[in-house]
Amino acid sequence: MNLDIQLQEGPQRNVVLLSGEVDVYTASKLKETLNPLAEQENKELVVDLSGINYIDSTGLGIFIGALKATEKSNSTLKLIGLNERVKKLFEITGLNEVIDIQANDAREEA
Amino acid sequence: MEDTQLSMYQLYKEMLTKYLDNKSEHALYHAQQFSKQMMEKDMSPEETVSLHMSVFQEIAEDLSEEVVDSFDILLEVMIGYGLAYREHQSLRDKQRQLDSELTVAARMQKSLLPSEKIALDSVDFGVISVPAGKMSGDYYHYAHDEHKNVGVAVADVIGKGIPAAMSMSMIKYAMDTLPEQRLQPGALLENLNRVVERNIDDDMFITMMYGFYDPRNYRFNYASAGHEPGFIYHEESDKFENLDGRGLVLGVSKNVTYRDYEVAMNVGDFVVLLSDGVTECRVDGEFIERDQIIQMIRDYKHMPAQKIVDRIFYDLERAQEFQLRDDFTLLILRRKV
Amino acid sequence: MQVQTHVDIHSEWGIVAARQAGRKLAREIGFGSVDQARITTAISELARNIYLYANKGQIQIEEATSAGKRGIKIIATDQGPGIKEIRRVMEDGFTTSGGLGAGLPGVKRLMDDFDIDSELKVGTTITAIKWLR
Repeated sequence: MNLDIQLQEGPQRNVVLLSGEVDVYTASKLKETLNPLAEQENKELVVDLSGINYIDSTGLGIFIGALKATEKSNSTLKLIGLNERVKKLFEITGLNEVIDIQANDAREEA
Repeated sequence: MEDTQLSMYQLYKEMLTKYLDNKSEHALYHAQQFSKQMMEKDMSPEETVSLHMSVFQEIAEDLSEEVVDSFDILLEVMIGYGLAYREHQSLRDKQRQLDSELTVAARMQKSLLPSEKIALDSVDFGVISVPAGKMSGDYYHYAHDEHKNVGVAVADVIGKGIPAAMSMSMIKYAMDTLPEQRLQPGALLENLNRVVERNIDDDMFITMMYGFYDPRNYRFNYASAGHEPGFIYHEESDKFENLDGRGLVLGVSKNVTYRDYEVAMNVGDFVVLLSDGVTECRVDGEFIERDQIIQMIRDYKHMPAQKIVDRIFYDLERAQEFQLRDDFTLLILRRKV
Repeated sequence: MQVQTHVDIHSEWGIVAARQAGRKLAREIGFGSVDQARITTAISELARNIYLYANKGQIQIEEATSAGKRGIKIIATDQGPGIKEIRRVMEDGFTTSGGLGAGLPGVKRLMDDFDIDSELKVGTTITAIKWLR
């Protein structure tokens, strides 16, 4: 499976649209996109996961890296459009407590 | 060197003459065997071409100039193949060296894990931990104190291989410095988290479940740092229940608190801790469901704990055609009396 | 008597000229056809490196003698960016920039003696010798 990444850049907010799988094979590609965006000062980084059906632990690590980078750059990270399975993964790992997460039904807000 | 070259020349000449004479399969088979000998003597492709050319020139008299010259092109092309062949040899040597370094490292890593079995009448214990490669990103722990409290843990570093293995040893050393927290699972994880947060890469993390069985009140006390929930089996009701526990994975945030949970253990009840290598097993491309793991444990639950974990590992390994995708750890602690 | 040839490398023509000069001298010294091909391949690689990474430089080809031995010496000089981590470029499998993909480890294998001297932003000199056996 592959990962497709689309980027919509804006003055206050960058939106990254993902579809496919975030796993050990695609993680580095995602990291190359996310980290420079997360390092931009005072911005909102929104990642739309509605096209994602599977994330493995290496993939989760990339979001943790992005979270840490946004904290350093005084920005925020928000994940939207998570399906049930992906949402459950964020819950088991407790990451839903530290990352702003909106499940599938709240997608329109983006 | 000169001698071997001379004898190679002779052998090649005999072989080629024979073949040109009778075009037999036997002579071709001989050539195939001969090629092994040439490789053993480190003969490169360009030397082979050159050998062929000089032998051929001797056997076939009055070769046309075009035929002889055409070998110049072949020789030039073969130099590249010769280089690739030597590079391959040197990379193979390098790999052997890396392999033996890894073997030593893997042995050192193994020595970090507890080796002596728990010899208590109160509990029955079994554990299996198998890395996907040589080194493991899984860590397990078991120990008991003088009051027969039995502590158990499974931790899972994301990723696998060497980076995961290095982080795994960090958990081990940190655990060693925290003996006084063995009876406070939440506080233990809090301390481990501080160590991990300071020392781990930004996009790595560790999940862990730690708990201990207290023989005074027959309870299992535990806390979880984002770890795949374990199970508890209640013998009386013949039911499995998730060892649910909330808590952030280790290494993300500096100050995290972890809640303590507890569950009663009657005689015959047992807890199961596992790493996600168990639930991320893919059989025929499909993830194995937790229900399937439960069914397997149920099938073997009459056996001693060590037998159960061994059997389950074997079954899952076999179902995956003996190829592990991720490090695998499964641990069972049963109350006996 | 010392035979010495200089070839300027700033195009693929230069690479061919350097090969030609190398093959001629190698033949004169008495190298067999396999070694001639090895020496010219080494010259090719060194000249291509100059052409690809430094744009221009020189290949110097001369006869070498030492303790009764005879051989051929190739000196490749450029005033290019220099090599940052020599140890890395000498690792197998590190450079595969088209061509034969042999890279510097390949040149080292084709020849007997090999030496690199490089300074960042100043340039690189590579010396390689093959001895007649």
